[in-house]
Amino acid sequence: MDYLIFSVSLMLVYIGLAQLLHIQFGLAGIPNFGVVGFWGIGLYGTGVLYVKAGVPLLPAMAMASLLATALAYVLARLVLQRNGQAILAATLAFATIVSTLVVSEKDLTGGVQGLGTIRFPFSDLEQRNLIFMIMLLIVVCALIWISAKLRDSRLGRQLVAIRDNEELAASLGKNTAATKRWVFAITCGLMGLLGGMSAPLHQFLVPYQLSPSLTFAVWIALVLGGKGHNLGAIVGVFVTFGLFDILIETYAPVPAEQAILLPNFKLFCYGVLLVMIIMFRPLGILGVDKPKVRSSTTTPPRELSNASVEKG
Amino acid sequence: MLLLDSIFIGLLEASPLILAAMGFTLIFYLNGFMNIAFAESITYGAYSAILFNVVLGLHFYLAIIPSMLLSGVLSVVVYLGIFRPALNRGVGPTEMIILSVGVSFMLRYGLILFVGPENLFLNEPNITYLQFFGMGATNLQLIALVLVLFAAGVLYWMIYNTGLGEQMRGLANNRDLAMASGINPHRTSVAIWFIAGCAGGLSGVFTGVFAQVAPYMGWNVILITMLVTIVAGVGSVRGAVLAAVVAGILTAFITLITKPLYAEVVLLTAFIGVLTLRGARTA
Repeated sequence: MDYLIFSVSLMLVYIGLAQLLHIQFGLAGIPNFGVVGFWGIGLYGTGVLYVKAGVPLLPAMAMASLLATALAYVLARLVLQRNGQAILAATLAFATIVSTLVVSEKDLTGGVQGLGTIRFPFSDLEQRNLIFMIMLLIVVCALIWISAKLRDSRLGRQLVAIRDNEELAASLGKNTAATKRWVFAITCGLMGLLGGMSAPLHQFLVPYQLSPSLTFAVWIALVLGGKGHNLGAIVGVFVTFGLFDILIETYAPVPAEQAILLPNFKLFCYGVLLVMIIMFRPLGILGVDKPKVRSSTTTPPRELSNASVEKG
Repeated sequence: MLLLDSIFIGLLEASPLILAAMGFTLIFYLNGFMNIAFAESITYGAYSAILFNVVLGLHFYLAIIPSMLLSGVLSVVVYLGIFRPALNRGVGPTEMIILSVGVSFMLRYGLILFVGPENLFLNEPNITYLQFFGMGATNLQLIALVLVLFAAGVLYWMIYNTGLGEQMRGLANNRDLAMASGINPHRTSVAIWFIAGCAGGLSGVFTGVFAQVAPYMGWNVILITMLVTIVAGVGSVRGAVLAAVVAGILTAFITLITKPLYAEVVLLTAFIGVLTLRGARTA
């Protein structure tokens, strides 16, 4: 039972990360390949503050997410106005810098020996891991609700406009650079928050957790589920993490000598799935959902609102 | 003296990187997307060398050529099977990169399932340590450097002085005009993917013989290859060579004055800085 709670909590973290990536890439078109970097700042920031500086867990998480936000803002300032491939390479480089620094700064992070132990909040209660899972569930539900609200909002429409044609959006008087920077910084900060919340799940932090496979797992889940659909992240994580990590790895009767190869087989299947989906269903399993056009004060003519729905 | 040392070590260490950067640049230039699966050209080159050198017992220097060609064939197969249909469907550049990540996963973990995750070692020819002007290197390193510089020279000559290179540059700059001028895009693309795969494979053989052959070896150099290529600018093979050499020397220099781990951090930070300063000219 404890193991199932752990797996589901981890899955919630993945769903949250994929949902934030949906805002960054699906709505705003920013290809962030440094997911694990921002998540890792939250994870290790929380760990270092909690273990070395004795800060209580929740303030430590908040401070680590603020740090992730600040660093994301600086990175955004540096490269966000470049083209997609440059952003992709720069964010990937950023994640590598984070994981290298975690290994090299032994005094702070414990290096390869690891950093521990980070306890759950309410550690005197019997059901502390269940309580923590519910906390994660609330955060993830909030993220999904926020991104659904965002998509239908003025800001969301501005993000989509930036994704489709940034010059055009800028020519309409929108400050596109600043909008992108802030959306990027805040969503990365929330990735940091999820990282901070992963710290008590893992309890003991090692640099191995910061390998780029987390970034790719989240990307694969999002692309699989549908990057432009608000529920794509959930579906994608269920199909990848839920199916392979929880169902097959835990419950499938696999002989011991093959069990070592199972993670490799899983990643092989992820690769095949990703290739199939991009070749045959590029918008993902769910496709793209249409934003609700709500007209509160002035009602536009029917044909016009229909046209804008189809365009969007 | 420190400068001389770092130039020397940097050149030795950068020699596989130069080849990898050139191969990566060719595909980037021709098709306009960053092919992360190029990492597997490097890995498969090294594993082919294991096949010819260790399993079939060929001498190391003789095994280089068939391993290189095999890696080139794999590159063409992947192009014809996956990337060409995707390009024909009009998949965008960012989605192409994600697709190439998928291909990379498929090839890498397929390889692990097939040969196992252990590190393997090539049977190196006898190694002697040579010393001159106060700097030391093994004969293997020097031969590798000469071979890589030779291969890089041939590649460079091919791109800037032959019909194939001209066709490739034509296709990259204006596909419609090139086709109207009678260039067969299919044949040229296959040739370029083959050559890029060969360059990656050769790079992998040398990376493997200096250390070990492991499933992640290509992945470990792809980030630096990617950054070198982007900093060099789209499809500038001259720029890729130059940036790879500079990256190698810079890494060696920083490694000599601080810890090796910091060299990577400084190098990556420098790359982000270059991306920022180059402005709209990047990629």
